[in-house]
Amino acid sequence: MRPSSARTATLLLLAAALACGEGSGPGPSHVLTITAGDAQTDTVTHTLPAAYVVKVTDAASAPQSGVTVTWTVTGGGGTVTPSSTTDANGLATATRTLGTAAGVATAKAEAGGASVTFTATARAAAPTHLMKSAGDVQNGIPGQPLPIPFAVTALDQYNNPVDSVPVAWAVTAGGGSVSAASSQTDALGVARTTLTLGDSVGPNAVSATSVGLGAPLSFSATAVAGAVFIRSLAIPENYGIHDQFIRDGLAFVCAWNSGVIIYDVGNGIRGGTPANPILVDSVTTTGGQVHNAWWFHNPVASEKRYLFIGQEGPGSIGSSSSGDIHVVDVSNLDSIHQVAFFHRPGAGTHNFWMDEPNQILYAAYYNGGVAAIDVSGTLTGDISTRMIDSLSFGASGTYTWGLQLYNGSLYAADMLSGLWQLSTTLGTLASVAGGGNEAARFTSDLWVANGYAYTGTWDHFRRTGLSGSLLKVWQLDAGGAPVAVDSILVDNVGAVSDVEVSPDGKLLMFSTESGPNSGFWFYSLADPAHPVLRGRYLEPSGVHTATFGTIAGKLYAFGAKNPSGAAMIILDVSSLDY
Amino acid sequence: MRLTAALAGITIGAGHAAAQGRGGSVTASWGAQATLELVATNLVPGGGGGDRSLTEARIVMPVGMLHAAALGGRVRVLAAAHLEKYTIPNGELAPGNWGESFTDRRHPHTLAHELMLVTSDLLGNVDGRVNLFLAVGKGFVPFGTDDPMSRPAVRFPVNHHLSQILERAVVLAGVRAGPATLEGAVFNGDEPVAPGSWPAWDRFGDSWAARLTLVPLPGLEAQGSLALVQAPENRPGAGPDDRKASASARYERGPWYGQLEWARTATAGGAFVFHSLLAEAALTMPGHRPYVRIERSERPEEERVFGNPFRTRRPLFENSIFGITRWTVVTGGDAVEVLRNPLRGAPFVEVSWIGIARTGGGVFDPTVFYGRTHGASITIGVRLAAGMRMPRMGRYQPDAMHDMSAMSVP
Repeated sequence: MRPSSARTATLLLLAAALACGEGSGPGPSHVLTITAGDAQTDTVTHTLPAAYVVKVTDAASAPQSGVTVTWTVTGGGGTVTPSSTTDANGLATATRTLGTAAGVATAKAEAGGASVTFTATARAAAPTHLMKSAGDVQNGIPGQPLPIPFAVTALDQYNNPVDSVPVAWAVTAGGGSVSAASSQTDALGVARTTLTLGDSVGPNAVSATSVGLGAPLSFSATAVAGAVFIRSLAIPENYGIHDQFIRDGLAFVCAWNSGVIIYDVGNGIRGGTPANPILVDSVTTTGGQVHNAWWFHNPVASEKRYLFIGQEGPGSIGSSSSGDIHVVDVSNLDSIHQVAFFHRPGAGTHNFWMDEPNQILYAAYYNGGVAAIDVSGTLTGDISTRMIDSLSFGASGTYTWGLQLYNGSLYAADMLSGLWQLSTTLGTLASVAGGGNEAARFTSDLWVANGYAYTGTWDHFRRTGLSGSLLKVWQLDAGGAPVAVDSILVDNVGAVSDVEVSPDGKLLMFSTESGPNSGFWFYSLADPAHPVLRGRYLEPSGVHTATFGTIAGKLYAFGAKNPSGAAMIILDVSSLDY
Repeated sequence: MRLTAALAGITIGAGHAAAQGRGGSVTASWGAQATLELVATNLVPGGGGGDRSLTEARIVMPVGMLHAAALGGRVRVLAAAHLEKYTIPNGELAPGNWGESFTDRRHPHTLAHELMLVTSDLLGNVDGRVNLFLAVGKGFVPFGTDDPMSRPAVRFPVNHHLSQILERAVVLAGVRAGPATLEGAVFNGDEPVAPGSWPAWDRFGDSWAARLTLVPLPGLEAQGSLALVQAPENRPGAGPDDRKASASARYERGPWYGQLEWARTATAGGAFVFHSLLAEAALTMPGHRPYVRIERSERPEEERVFGNPFRTRRPLFENSIFGITRWTVVTGGDAVEVLRNPLRGAPFVEVSWIGIARTGGGVFDPTVFYGRTHGASITIGVRLAAGMRMPRMGRYQPDAMHDMSAMSVP
């Protein structure tokens, strides 16, 4: 700064101070105006093509020559000419070189207490390498997409993310597929793809490559053990198969108007196995419409004589139903035959639970609630007089889907009013707790284990407009009353149609139907309050019911595949990691 | 429009008169029609409530007909090819319509809509004035009222599957004596499962129907009919049967047409009962033809196919339904004939007010599923036809085959 300029600046400063009056303090002696070079974009480390130019004037807009302007980098790194002096037109210039960080780069020009800020944008340099940014090392279910996409970030030599870089993805192990075989990095420099694991248990790998950016990056994932398909046993297309009851290596297939069909799947009577079920016998009970079964092992009489069959007749779901309980004598498996029936006027039966020590059959009866039936002794003819008690519940009607005896209470899943705890004293029924606890959807099946109850929902018509179906988890309190603690939403299905827990209490299974996510679903109950998905087996036609069976020490899942192509599907789930 | 093949002795004509050919010759008439329409409605299924509307443009009822007669009309062949397989494979938007796995859309008809061999006056003068007739082939069962395709409104009534049975393999015998005609038939119970499907031949004869028709006064016709239809919705035959009844009175004379009909279908031994009451009328005036129809019909609510609220599950694997709804539909329209020959054309406009109510119980709630309990549809379009006019469809007795120039497709 020349002395004359300094004096001029000093005088102007004094004049400004006097003009502002007391207490205003000293003001700037110059006015700085950006005249060129602002708002440029260039690559990091490059010198901006246009110089920064600032004009210095006095308060009266007269150009000030010989004024020293100080330049400072205030953001984004890099350099700028430290200082320059205004010419006769009051103009001072500086050269800006960007730093290595992409983004906004700022520099300040300052003179006589006044300043202006120049802004530039630093682009990333050419990409030099890729870096993994998400998704590596995951576990998933064979044949299913991983929950987290694989992601890479393209970077330049200064590790700035670079957009619009093509990345090629390729499956290198496991035989799965990627959602995108090529993708481009986004504004944050990230490109993604989602791996659908191969169908087999074991390692999967995907490489990410971009030409000229070094060696491919490898992502890894592991397909953990899942359900293994064993057999699909065709069932006559006579409304197909609705349920199956597995006990002592026999599968009692409930095949609607084709009756109940008994297969040896490991009993030994015919040499059948899960992979090769062998027909034992069949019978069509009165009226057909065979829906469900329970093979009664009577510890009092030490006999396995009676098979109870539920007939699901026509009904209007939510209000009316029909269908009897039929009793089949299976003491001679070469010649099974119907011996008795139970009829309730105005109501039809659905699922069963048996109190075998007390010889009481509990039957869900849709609009008839729950019925307790004495099945002791010999059963012949019409046994309708054997009903011990019945109970209907729910403020807006009863439509009971299923029930289960657990820890002294009878739990009932009611489509209209949710999960109930009932008491039973040798078949005398009373409502204890629950109910009115599922209003958003219609409730379907239930299973109770480990101090928790698990219920499904059936909601083809979206009771309240919500999509998907739930598996709800209920903790039973000290008195056995259910308290909802968790739920799992399965989207793209119309119903969670059946629920069951494995005999060891560690694996939860439910079936789903009506939608692309139809099939079998398996969850670990390591934490029974919060099941964790461990596998699924999808079946587009839908699985109406699913039942566990232990054959030769191995755990299997048996499922009723809906028509067309009705079949009993058998899965080996012993290798599931739960 | 007439072509004559002298050597073969075949006459092909465009109108009914052509069928009254010379004694030893074979005469034939042909006709074709189609309706181009734009349908809009605010009654759209789908669940979740909220206002929805849907507009679709379609070609419906594209039909080609060929009727041939020989032996002075004692032997006739009736053929109708329906091309809706190609024009509306996903059905015609029509809230309330149902059947053949469609719901809220009218299903497409099968390609071979009708292919019947009909004989009349089999015994000649032997039986005096009694006329014994037989019909064999694929076509209409003698039950209920005429097919809606040959009636005034474009939109099919909700009761189509309560009041007509068609596209079956049928053997029909009838006798007309004076003002009374009695018909009986056996047929296959299964309804078509696709526009290209044929009847399940192995089920032929599992169902029957009978209809008594009286004509007490000129132009006035009354009928009562009964039918047992085995497992119509389950092609293998496993489903519940339908016991059907229908009664109607029909008047057609001069420019006037009117019909009052009642129908009842009891399914699964009476577990579900569906009723219908319908009245309609039309008046042919110079250049145009206004009509009105009032209907109250019930229908089952069944599980819909996931992702497609216009289709119900087939094959069924349960006999339960989700409820019964009662549809009240008031339809009015008018068509103006603007083209006459050789191509006939009649632009039309048709409006329907539609109300839905639950009857009995069940989980189905129209408020949730449609977002409303009443709505409307409007259809505009043009009906085109050439050749012979469409006859009454659904009857094979000799005097019921006259054309419907007063009221149907122009």
